[in-house]
Amino acid sequence: MRAVIKNNIGIFTPQGFLDGNNTQAFFTLDDIKATEHLKVEMLLVSLKKVIFFNKNGIDTFVQFLLKMRLKNHVIIGFCDYDDKKYIAINSFYQDKLTFSLFKTFEIASLFCSSFNAKTKTVLLYHEDPSQRSAMAIELFERGYNPIISQTEDDFKQKQKNDAKYDFIIEDTYLNILGQRIATKVKGNAIIYTISGFLDAEIIENFDITYHNSSLHVGFRLFIFDAYKVISINIHALRFFTKLSTSAAEYDAVICFAGMSFEKTPIKFQEELEDSGILFFDSIDIALKENQEVVKLSRSTVSKSAKRSLSRVVVQRLPEFINAVITTVEMMTNIKAVKKSANIQPITIDKHEGELLSSSIGFYGAVDGILVLVFPINLAKKSCELLIGENTDNVDDILDALAEFVNIIGGRIKTLLRDYDLDIDITLPRTYANITNLKSAVENKKGVQVDLSFENSDFIFFLTR
Amino acid sequence: MVDKNDIQEYIKHLPPTPEILNQTLLYLNTNDLTKAAQTAKKDRALSSYIKSLVNKPIYGFKSEITNIAQAFSILGIGLAKQSLYNYSLSLLLPDRWRVFTLNKALFYDLQASLSIGWHKILQYLDVDDSDIETAIILAPASVIICESLFQDHIQEVNLLKSSHNLSYNEILYRLTSLDLFDISAQIAKIWGMSKASQELIIAFKKASAQPQINILAKWMYLLLFFEFSKSDFVEAGLNDFIEFKPDFVSDIYEEFAKLMDIT
Repeated sequence: MRAVIKNNIGIFTPQGFLDGNNTQAFFTLDDIKATEHLKVEMLLVSLKKVIFFNKNGIDTFVQFLLKMRLKNHVIIGFCDYDDKKYIAINSFYQDKLTFSLFKTFEIASLFCSSFNAKTKTVLLYHEDPSQRSAMAIELFERGYNPIISQTEDDFKQKQKNDAKYDFIIEDTYLNILGQRIATKVKGNAIIYTISGFLDAEIIENFDITYHNSSLHVGFRLFIFDAYKVISINIHALRFFTKLSTSAAEYDAVICFAGMSFEKTPIKFQEELEDSGILFFDSIDIALKENQEVVKLSRSTVSKSAKRSLSRVVVQRLPEFINAVITTVEMMTNIKAVKKSANIQPITIDKHEGELLSSSIGFYGAVDGILVLVFPINLAKKSCELLIGENTDNVDDILDALAEFVNIIGGRIKTLLRDYDLDIDITLPRTYANITNLKSAVENKKGVQVDLSFENSDFIFFLTR
Repeated sequence: MVDKNDIQEYIKHLPPTPEILNQTLLYLNTNDLTKAAQTAKKDRALSSYIKSLVNKPIYGFKSEITNIAQAFSILGIGLAKQSLYNYSLSLLLPDRWRVFTLNKALFYDLQASLSIGWHKILQYLDVDDSDIETAIILAPASVIICESLFQDHIQEVNLLKSSHNLSYNEILYRLTSLDLFDISAQIAKIWGMSKASQELIIAFKKASAQPQINILAKWMYLLLFFEFSKSDFVEAGLNDFIEFKPDFVSDIYEEFAKLMDIT
């Protein structure tokens, strides 16, 4: 069984009956390896489609999740259960829960940095006051407006006016331990969430390979969400200054948002500023400034633009193209016709508003960026299978396109593994605006293959 | 990937049920077990299949069943008919399983477990109807259909499943507007199975006008997932081949758990 990723959460959805006899069978060695390589903030088991479980059944999943937490520092737990299941799990573990419980996936998403529903009002209740406080603090620090009910009666009373609340949290237990630095993409920025006392451990918890690959892919703004940082020591300071220096080579900017220097020497701020790090009161302000930063970076030819595709990638090119073609064919049931293939900077003839695009980077044994450009109709058709219906909502189509390019990234990863080449893939990017795409890959030469799906022109572009 | 033409082709190329099997069914429909056994005996593959089926431990017979007449008389009309349809199904088994990690022996185990489970349920519900008894064979039929339709597209389907929590059944429906139960019902029709059997499998997703069919559909659906949750079938990949909807069966779950001794 493999986890499906949504909102930076990996979710397993077993079905039917879970007991000690069958739960081991859900995870093969390959499944365990694949889970270890996931770059997510949370790993959850959804109980939505489970009708029966016993202690042994749940325990197998718990042991598996604990191993994953030890390895990847992710939040682990269960979600999507009813009252009876919640009571059952609590009775199995008698207040010694080593994992979190989220009544719904949506509630779990509130505690994940990539979920974007800030400034919403959340009503919450838990019989344990320390749990109530922990949840409220976590929510508040993420920008929500938590309303805590101190008693069950008060909660029930407030629940009657449910229209007043965007989310209601009950039957939920928070066990946030061992979090690693969470990553999300917002607009053209990558946002890292850091918290607590920052010391030498940040070097271990920060995925530098991912960061470097994001630079290659074209991200130019990196914001550290530092609301929850209490202090920074000299080791962490050195880490950030080094990060900023290397980012400068790509004309990239590193920012801190919401950082307080109450318990950190103010000279540290000066040193960080000297290294090029910018400080903003909030992520929103940093993002607003980002518009200028991105413009600046686009006007400069970065070093990465001069890099060419490696020989290995060129050798595997037919398979790359085939992976894309078969995936589009699978999604659309339309056969592809290859029109031309050239080595050139990306060339798009169609006009703005007629196209949507998505891209994904890969890094490791080989690296590169794959860009796919769809006419809107083909994008809609390609995503129908993922969305489950025909839609004209561009945001929904772009979300599905991100998943689509993620599928292709997964295929490329599998394909290269057959040649003993291990790679990781970045988060996908989507472009509703082709000018933005062109800016992101301008001056980059790559392989452009023009394809046609029932007279809808489609562009495959692979660059580095 | 898979389209409606593939489904039509699949149905068009279904092998016809052997003549001896049809004759045996005719005798069973007239409650003539003796003539049915005499006819079935003429087909060595059929009689060998039935003997190996009834001698599986799950049937719980103390001594070995050595001839078809003995097998039919112990099984009774309902289970005997069911075993014939199960044999028809065995003729559709793929040479090589690629979507599910099944094999002939494991598939026969699935058929046997479902048959016995369904028989137990019908006894509990006091339903004595051989047409209803045979309907259970359509559940494993949908596994074979799924295997056949997707086995040339396994890589694409797996990628799709890894990005979205979609069952094979849902993928098929989104691609063709037909699901595995629609196709199973069509096969049931071609094989001359009763209308009740066809309605029962369709009632998994669309309520029948007959309340009894709806109740039976719930029991069959839950039995299906009970079996698909067994470790051998989880390992074979059957656990998520269709989407399980607990709400559909929540009102009968307690009774089911009691009947099946689930603790």
